[in-house]
Amino acid sequence: MVLVASLLGATTLAGPRALAQKKLRVAAAADLQPAMPILAEQYLKATGIKLMVSFGSSSVLATQILEGAPMDIFLGADFTYPEKVVAAGLADGTAPTPYAKGTLVLWARKDSGLLPLSIERLTDPRVKTVAIANELHAPYGRAAADALRKMKMYDAVSPHFVVGENIAQTAQFVESGNAQLGLISLTTASTAHFKEIGEYVLVPTSQYPPILQCAVIMKNSDRKAEAHAFLDWLLTPAVQENWQKLGFAAVK
Amino acid sequence: MDFEALWLTLRLAIATTAILLVVALPLAWWIASGRSVGRALVQAVVALPLVLPPTVLGFYLLIMMGPLTAPGRLLIGIFGHPLAFSFTGLLIGSVLYSLPFAVQPLVAGFGAVDRGYTEAAEGLGVKPWTVFLTVVLPMARISVLTSAVLAFTHTVGEFGVVLMLGGNIPGATRTLSISLYDLVQDGDYAAADRTALLLLVFSLSALLAIYLLPGVRRTEGGQADVAR
Repeated sequence: MVLVASLLGATTLAGPRALAQKKLRVAAAADLQPAMPILAEQYLKATGIKLMVSFGSSSVLATQILEGAPMDIFLGADFTYPEKVVAAGLADGTAPTPYAKGTLVLWARKDSGLLPLSIERLTDPRVKTVAIANELHAPYGRAAADALRKMKMYDAVSPHFVVGENIAQTAQFVESGNAQLGLISLTTASTAHFKEIGEYVLVPTSQYPPILQCAVIMKNSDRKAEAHAFLDWLLTPAVQENWQKLGFAAVK
Repeated sequence: MDFEALWLTLRLAIATTAILLVVALPLAWWIASGRSVGRALVQAVVALPLVLPPTVLGFYLLIMMGPLTAPGRLLIGIFGHPLAFSFTGLLIGSVLYSLPFAVQPLVAGFGAVDRGYTEAAEGLGVKPWTVFLTVVLPMARISVLTSAVLAFTHTVGEFGVVLMLGGNIPGATRTLSISLYDLVQDGDYAAADRTALLLLVFSLSALLAIYLLPGVRRTEGGQADVAR
């Protein structure tokens, strides 16, 4: 009885504190990995709500959500995977909401011997390894493969592919010097570390369909109002203007 | 079924097992032939892959094999290319990752060999190396078999190290477990089921074969051990 009483006491005491420190569970695509800590800090300052972020490739996150992962909001790296959540009837709303546009870049280390960098470097005879995200289930991988096909380079470059499971691992392959070139996200290429040790060029946006990053809010979440407020915040002009610094393009 | 991945996985497991036996036999014999801090330390280091997350081991290997570290530059000098994303790189990763599975049954088996026989043979003037080959190995043959089967099956089921180090290249680094992971990610559950079933049946049969061997008894830990 004493134990129960003390537990109850503890719960009552923790009550107001738990209210003061609200949490939102976010499933975020791997390309958000560099941007999310910055956003989370800004959001905590603005609202007092702490973002609990789980990263993964969009397809893994979508599968986990379909299997009942406890999430409040899913920030995908494209339209397809959030749409799967909508189709399964798990989303609050009838369509995914675009919140940012992803940008694909070609990146190389400064000590790779491949600078100055240009898209044509992909077919440079010295290049034996090109890191790319899995085109079957990573949105940036699909965009990269589409771009290579449209630029008629796919057949020449694909024998040199080393395939990352998601865009963050793809960046790691080329950052560690194991791959010579990498088709990675501008979000990663824009970080201080990647700017210091490497250079990037944009893959022409005319060569691949836009990487329209979409979000869905979970129907079963008990923090739907907070999740909507967070998504609205992501769409405010102030945050959208800030996207560029983080390597995204605004959707508005 | 991805037969290219199946064939690659078999080649990787065979090569890993062959290398591991060459490395593990003398190592386990040395560990089993006495008690000292040095031996305990080596045994502990050998056992590390059991507790390190495979993805972490794979990440360290990726960095170690890359051009940013001295060992990586040395390896690139020897092989002419970075070892990550190559069969050789996976082979090194697999040998390290499966080392405890090869060494530990051997240490147990060699430890159970009655020293009376080896001392008698040495007393007759037989060289230690010959004693090992003609007395110890035949007496510990079931441990040798256990060690080989465990190293082989463990390599077949390896995932984290391959994921971090491999780069998913068909015919070079896309093993069956990676192919299975891709199938699940793509939502192709029917094909994934077939691959998973093959892995399951294969592993179960291999382990069952060990436990059914005459002379193998099941210890409390469930690990195959040699009867005296």
